[in-house]
Amino acid sequence: MILSLSLPHSLEVNARPDSPAGPAFAMSGHAKRRAAGRGSPVPRPAVAGAALLAAGTGLGATTALTITAETASQLTVPGGLATFAGNLTGMVGTYLALMMVLLVSRIPVIERVLGQDGLLRWHRRLAPWPISLLVAHAVLITAGYAQAARSGVWHEAGTLLFRYPDILIATIGLALICLVGVISIRAIRRRVRREVWWTVHLWLYLALSLSFAHVLVLGQSFVGHPLTWAVWSVAWAGTAGLVLAYRVGLPVLRSVRHRLRVAEVHPEGPGVVSVICEGEHLDRLPVSGGQFLFWRFLTPSMWWQAHPYTLSALPQPPYLRLTVKGVGDHSSALARLKPGTRVAIEGPYGVFTRHSQRRPRVLLIAAGIGVTSVRALLEDLPRGAKPVVVLRGARREDLVLGTEIADLVKRRGGQLHELTGSRAQATIDQYSLRRMVPDLTERDVYVCGPEGFVTEIVGLVRWLGVPDEAIHHEAYAL
Amino acid sequence: MKRAPLLILAGTAAGFLGVLGFHTRPAAPTLPGAEANGGNPGGTPAATRSAGPPAGPGAIRSALGPSEQFGYGVLDVKVTVSGTRITDVSVPTLQVAEFTSQQISEQAIPLLTSEVLTAQSASINGVSGATFTSEAYAQSLQAALDALHVK
Repeated sequence: MILSLSLPHSLEVNARPDSPAGPAFAMSGHAKRRAAGRGSPVPRPAVAGAALLAAGTGLGATTALTITAETASQLTVPGGLATFAGNLTGMVGTYLALMMVLLVSRIPVIERVLGQDGLLRWHRRLAPWPISLLVAHAVLITAGYAQAARSGVWHEAGTLLFRYPDILIATIGLALICLVGVISIRAIRRRVRREVWWTVHLWLYLALSLSFAHVLVLGQSFVGHPLTWAVWSVAWAGTAGLVLAYRVGLPVLRSVRHRLRVAEVHPEGPGVVSVICEGEHLDRLPVSGGQFLFWRFLTPSMWWQAHPYTLSALPQPPYLRLTVKGVGDHSSALARLKPGTRVAIEGPYGVFTRHSQRRPRVLLIAAGIGVTSVRALLEDLPRGAKPVVVLRGARREDLVLGTEIADLVKRRGGQLHELTGSRAQATIDQYSLRRMVPDLTERDVYVCGPEGFVTEIVGLVRWLGVPDEAIHHEAYAL
Repeated sequence: MKRAPLLILAGTAAGFLGVLGFHTRPAAPTLPGAEANGGNPGGTPAATRSAGPPAGPGAIRSALGPSEQFGYGVLDVKVTVSGTRITDVSVPTLQVAEFTSQQISEQAIPLLTSEVLTAQSASINGVSGATFTSEAYAQSLQAALDALHVK
């Protein structure tokens, strides 16, 4: 599978006379306080708060609508209880499915506050609910109607499928939803190629459109309630609009506007390459240090997959740099990219940025290829951050971009600690951390690296007394 | 965002109570005989008297009740009286959205008819399993009876 993440490669300390494209991510000489390019907009937590409130309101309203559509006498008739439970699970399940889509719709004002990481975590946690509720809905309605019509369940299932409007396609939709759920189960997800998983996920949009009609035509809360009908339709159309705008429209717009092409690929360390892209109007790309983009390299073998890689430096128009460790097929193939290859982008995303900073001084801790995020973030930090940077790697060569990082740390009056060797030799524990960072609890802590490393370090600094709101992390998943 | 669960819960409560509060009035029970036009916000003309002078005892008259919406469809009831005695009830219009409701309604209507002829009024128990149909039936019937000034 593919690894996500990477980081930018060399900002060389000296311009490379040998590189034809001459991407000078040079930090040399006169300090660039902030490389050119527009920082990502400041997050506005109130907007995300309002969105969460609205999401809750919708859930409450959906539940209440289902209940008010019911009368006490309906519950007492044969099948009444099952039908009511079926209506309720159907409505709530459908609403949660809508929320699932919204969680991954990449709405910028929400992503900037909650982070794609966080939103994806919610998406994963929420997933079992709509799926099981919708399955329960189908079963309960069939059972309830069978009781009401005094017929068998299988007979009733046939009746529902073939004699009711829109039920057949809704059932196909439900089957697709279940399939998406199954392929996302962790054990199965690991065995499936990322692209297969991703493509199957797209069926979810199809599934939801297929099931949309039967809700409006048959749903007890909708039949004869034009207002509810209208509000529900607008909510769905709005969601579709948001998905199209932010998952398709904006990425296409940015890709067309910036016209990125590979300018140069060069090795950065064992298995690590930097890809430097050249494009237009990069000063208008709203990106902050530490953010990532989805990259789609338009070659015959790679155009169909997009992968998340971190920028390893702020844009220096007309250049952008990403630095990637070759772990999966995709990241390894990057080393063979030819200059001139067109590149499409989606993003930038991520909240591992200076916007998350709550206190004046910071501690940055990275392992492995995580150093690339730290490299870009460092460049973006305010002057007074006095950063303490702790990097851990198995070998000296694994700490890529070392010179650039050292240079940036020096310029900001910070300290750099490079720990190399086995885990036992290069251990980060309470003692070593306290020694390296005596004022640890007064700093914001940024942690970046493989998932296990991030979990370990976040646990450690939390235990040492750093409050949650001052801990920021980004994990690279394989 | 630490307040996230709080915000979602607050929203859920607000949405739930809001809809519940909004719905209380329209959902007020409109039971048979409550009002001629009850439960018929569309304002379909109330019973149209279709025959005969308000005449003397024994005159045969009939009236068509307003169309009543019920859960999954619409029905109206036509009633014929001889004097004040209900001699016939029928359902000229029955439109149902889907099959099960159609089935249920069709099973229920003959039962309702016999209940009415026995009770000689719209105050009937209804058919269990066809609550919506029964309520709509009773409402349309009551309106038709009111138009005929029966009971």
